[in-house]
Amino acid sequence: MPGDQGFWDRLVTKLAQCDGFKRVASWTLVPFWASRTPVKPLPGGPHPAVQPSDNLQCMMNLIMPLKVKSPIGRAEAALAIAQNKDAIYAGLNNVGTVHFARFVIVGDNICMFSVYDGDFTNYIRDFIATIGQVFNAVVELVEGGEEVLPCEDHVEAFIQWVHERDLYQVPDTATDFLRDQEALKGDTAVSGNDDLTLLPRQMILQLRANPNVSLGSGYRAYPGFSVAQVRKQLGLGW
Amino acid sequence: MVDATVAKQLVEAIIANLPEPVGKRRPVHTIGIGVKGKFVASEVARDYCVAEHFNGETFDVSVRFSNGLGGLHQHDGWSDVRGMATRFHLSDGNGTDLIATTLGEFFVRNVDDFFEFARIATLAPYPKRSAWQKFLDLLQLKVPQRDPYPNETQNVNAGALRYADGHRFAQLGVFQEGVIGAPVSYARASYHAVHTFMVKDPDGVRRPVRFSWQPVAGVSNSDPNAVPRDKYLFEEIAKRLQPWPARFMLMMTIGEDGDALDDPTKPWPGTRRRILMGTLTLTDVPKDQEKEGERISFNPTRLHDGIEVSSDPILEARRCTYEVSREMRGGCPFRWS
Amino acid sequence: MVDLTDVQGNILRGYRKPYVRYLILEVANPVEARRWLAASISGRSDSVPQITPADWGEARPATCFNIGLTYEGLRALGTPPSSLAMFPNEFVQGMTARALKLGDVGPSAPNKWPSPFDQPKRIHLIATIYADEAGQLGPVQQRALDRNAVTLLGFRDGHNFHGNFVHFGYEDNIMQPRFEGIPDPLRHPDMQPKAPLGTVLLGHPTNLEGLLWSVPQPPALGYNGTFNAFRVLRQDVVAFEKYLDQAADELLTHPQVGALLPSAAEAKICAVMLVPDRHAALRELVAANLCGRWRDGTPLALSPDAPDPNVDRANFDYVGDSRCPYGAHIRRCNPRGGQIVQRVANNSRRLVRRGMPYGPVYDPAAPDQDEVERGLLGNFIGASLGAQFEAMACDWLNLGLQDPRITGSDDPILGANDPETSWFDLPLKSGDTIKLRGLPRFVWTRGGAYTFLPSLSAIRYLGSLTT
Repeated sequence: MPGDQGFWDRLVTKLAQCDGFKRVASWTLVPFWASRTPVKPLPGGPHPAVQPSDNLQCMMNLIMPLKVKSPIGRAEAALAIAQNKDAIYAGLNNVGTVHFARFVIVGDNICMFSVYDGDFTNYIRDFIATIGQVFNAVVELVEGGEEVLPCEDHVEAFIQWVHERDLYQVPDTATDFLRDQEALKGDTAVSGNDDLTLLPRQMILQLRANPNVSLGSGYRAYPGFSVAQVRKQLGLGW
Repeated sequence: MVDATVAKQLVEAIIANLPEPVGKRRPVHTIGIGVKGKFVASEVARDYCVAEHFNGETFDVSVRFSNGLGGLHQHDGWSDVRGMATRFHLSDGNGTDLIATTLGEFFVRNVDDFFEFARIATLAPYPKRSAWQKFLDLLQLKVPQRDPYPNETQNVNAGALRYADGHRFAQLGVFQEGVIGAPVSYARASYHAVHTFMVKDPDGVRRPVRFSWQPVAGVSNSDPNAVPRDKYLFEEIAKRLQPWPARFMLMMTIGEDGDALDDPTKPWPGTRRRILMGTLTLTDVPKDQEKEGERISFNPTRLHDGIEVSSDPILEARRCTYEVSREMRGGCPFRWS
Repeated sequence: MVDLTDVQGNILRGYRKPYVRYLILEVANPVEARRWLAASISGRSDSVPQITPADWGEARPATCFNIGLTYEGLRALGTPPSSLAMFPNEFVQGMTARALKLGDVGPSAPNKWPSPFDQPKRIHLIATIYADEAGQLGPVQQRALDRNAVTLLGFRDGHNFHGNFVHFGYEDNIMQPRFEGIPDPLRHPDMQPKAPLGTVLLGHPTNLEGLLWSVPQPPALGYNGTFNAFRVLRQDVVAFEKYLDQAADELLTHPQVGALLPSAAEAKICAVMLVPDRHAALRELVAANLCGRWRDGTPLALSPDAPDPNVDRANFDYVGDSRCPYGAHIRRCNPRGGQIVQRVANNSRRLVRRGMPYGPVYDPAAPDQDEVERGLLGNFIGASLGAQFEAMACDWLNLGLQDPRITGSDDPILGANDPETSWFDLPLKSGDTIKLRGLPRFVWTRGGAYTFLPSLSAIRYLGSLTT
């Protein structure tokens, strides 16, 4: 506590809060621990579950780095979306399970954030069926996109490609993230010999393996209802 | 079934871990303040539960806010779980209780787990970690543990951590408890009833639900790095309620097939349907705190028609342990429905 | 046009033979196993049974023999890794890894499956023998079990006990998709459009405009092949009949029962279904609503008030105000032209179903003395497991996403129901509904595997590998 701290105490506390130390630690300590206790990237998308409301209003956070990392590349992406706006809206309407969707350019990435119902692969597959050519136009501008184009001819591979770019959702409950790491290693035991004080390190290393993550599964104002249920309830036709 | 002997053993296990004897007071949540208020259900509450207090009329309510740590010394500013015990006063002298804490999950699944936890997580000296140890923690990318508060010489943190390391189901509860902090006001924290209850609707359909109180003023915690103050919460709530009342919304989450209904260590996710059941308005701090804060006794299984307990073993155990504790300290008996 | 001598039988047209035996096999020795495969299409009938193609020429064979390969099986046979990498994810992972998606939880979970399904990695081939008489199965099995090539891990027998009836008392197998370019000898008039061949065979156009499923290369391997979800489904007939009793009890005194079954209207039901009274008629009514067909096969969409043997059982669609419940089993799994949320998906998740009951018939007059297992050995065939079988299972069968009136409920007959939370709406003429609750889980999964049903060219290719 401030007041009864000696010189060394104060130094260590200051160190922990100092940006310089954090930067140095990132270059030295983090890679060191990453090599000692390697951590694999966790898969993206919502955690699979059987409960109905866990399969409704699911979040997709798609981050796709652009090939051309400059205002020109970003403008190309913006144009690709703008030119296909009608197709995109028609597709979203006909897939029928999307609550909200938006395309966002952040840095040199074209991102898509959406809230959808049901299974991820069904949602993307139905999308390919309706707006495949939009996907082709956009994914062409993305790093690594050519391997799955045209998407209509590489349906399964394209779905996998999108899944790989969907962000890992850190569980809302902090310690469940440790369970995710364990599950990836095949450890599903009820109890183990863990060290809870390592949680910060595990989080740091995971964020090195998954640099972009969704924190929690998101807030919902009216969870547990599908698009069609909401539209029907409000008398909008579904 | 938890019988009287097991209940007594549970209470004794808790008392054994207290820093000092508490005499005729609660062994945990010893320090608390009684507050009066009113509850009005929302217009949809009665579609989900036929219990009297959800029928839309205004009901008187007695609430007791408390600090979780047992013992006679008040340390409002220490990182600690807070409690909010509510009694809805129904017609004909009946009542129904809802007991909630700021910790959203429990750290053990059943009574056997609890005995083992009490055995491992005993009071132990809590010395300050030296600068060198803290530096080593930083090098290992760990967060150095917090310094002891002034006058804090022992606590159960080390034992609880050992228990959590060996039992994965306990990790969330222990972790959350470690970082829970101190609210700036009892009225600026959210409280969770943790256990699943079964509510019955007008068609006779029973649903598994969990309750939470959400503060309308929002959640606000005090700075964990500042020196903690020992006594401010009682004054704060009394002052807060003078100009205008403080409100809480009662949220009810509906569980689904596949959820852990009987496991209090697993909170339900935010994707579950959330029903707004009503508004609690706290109006004043009554003068007779001996009656309204001390002698008053709550029991989480004191329920009225329309709400029943689930098979949660900790909830079941709390029925008897609260009774045993009430008798030991001479708390007021109340009528069971 | 497709060469029907290249496609395995029982995919495009059913065999209509009453006995089946499934042999669950593990590759004992890759070289011998490949020889075994080559022998199965060699045309010589002295050793390994010959694979029955879709076009068997003049003489209808007495027994039919076919095989399916799991991913582990393809790997064990020495399929080159570049080809293996082209198989879809769900097939590679295997059915046990998809348990959450398919609703195989609780008592249906893979860790509760009996042998040999408890060791999914060892299941390499599933061979089927169809026969007209039970005695014909043994000899074919003996010829198939060349001990150097394959090891028998287990087997399952099924047989038709009464025409096309299955254990819950329904007549099954009334409808199967008809395919463009494939002659349909039974000539059902069917309001459903003919399915493109790509619904069921790899390498042909699919129902989704412009989409093609990837064909594992080389073409000999993947072309004209298809995927099958083989599932051993245990049916709890006792619980089902008990639930019908329970529902009929409740409905008998329900305030709105007059709208559901007007008094004296039970006469027609009793006459056709041969049941004695109103309570029994209500039982049949509930059974009909849960399925979407009366137990004699009459579709509810055409005849909601009573079964009618004169109605065309195949020729219907869910349009207008057909009083088939939105959540009824056949409607959930195949919404035909009815309104669904996923508008692009109408007719895109169709399946070929080839199933046979197993276990003794349940006789209410002579109830089981011990634990008897009975159910269905089911095959759900489609060119894409993910787009057809799985898509139907996770969003339509369970969850009910296709219609907001059923979202949040599971299939009443097949779904992962829990009596605490399950529900099903019975439609009334007025548009109102009566909600049934407390449906337990009637069907449990007791084994299964995703298999690839190769064309005969693919079998020849695999037989000729030399790794």
